[in-house]
Amino acid sequence: MSNLKTTLTGYASYRGREGHYSFLLHRITGLGTALFLIIHILDTSFVYFLPDLYQHAINLYRSTLFGIAEVGLVFCVFFHGVNGLRVAFFDLIAPRLWSVPRQRFSTKITLLITLLMWVPASAIMLYNMLYHNFGWFGG
Amino acid sequence: MTTNTRTIEKPKPNFETKSWMFMRYSAVLLIPLVFGHLILQDVIVGVHRIDLDYVAMRWASIGWRIYDALLLAFAFAHGVNGIRQVLNDFIQSDQVRKIMHWGLFLLWLIVTAIGAIALIGGVRPIS
Repeated sequence: MSNLKTTLTGYASYRGREGHYSFLLHRITGLGTALFLIIHILDTSFVYFLPDLYQHAINLYRSTLFGIAEVGLVFCVFFHGVNGLRVAFFDLIAPRLWSVPRQRFSTKITLLITLLMWVPASAIMLYNMLYHNFGWFGG
Repeated sequence: MTTNTRTIEKPKPNFETKSWMFMRYSAVLLIPLVFGHLILQDVIVGVHRIDLDYVAMRWASIGWRIYDALLLAFAFAHGVNGIRQVLNDFIQSDQVRKIMHWGLFLLWLIVTAIGAIALIGGVRPIS
């Protein structure tokens, strides 16, 4: 138990600014995506194992609660992907370019690219949700 | 001036090094695969237009089945290995780590097998 406490207090109290926040966000978004992925593989496999239940699973995903969660999931995947590409670039291609100022700058660029992808994507997803679940825009 | 040369043997990559490399190489592959999957299914098509018929139509094309097989193989392995790496930060006991590694391996194997069977078997009609 003390290991858990040490790790968690370390996560919370370490003052590594941008690099630390991006490390934490990378872990949280990765874990969130992985947990969803387990459920998603199983629900999609219903098409073969339990085709009668597939529509029930999809109806759940169409609900407003899951619609909001979907917007969050898309943020998780976009951030994790863009940040992962940043990490892979510095680790595999250009380890020599690694410097603290550059990490701070590239972390901010990562967040900016994520938002540029996520904001229009969520606008469309929210439009779809309002159209189908609330009858807006003539739905 | 004499130059002294000495050869340093590069250590053989162990399992953790390989898993570290796998995370980065699979990441590069997963960017187009996962971003494409998300933008197509969640944004362009949308969950309200996805049903059994849609999956059947999509899987009628071998190309999409290969696409989904790549997603299943790489995304899920990347995900489970990521969970393993995070948990290794919280677990220091070798014995508990071993149990955790085997547990996650079994989870990966079972879920991947279920997904693969569905992907090969395809959509079955509603009884």
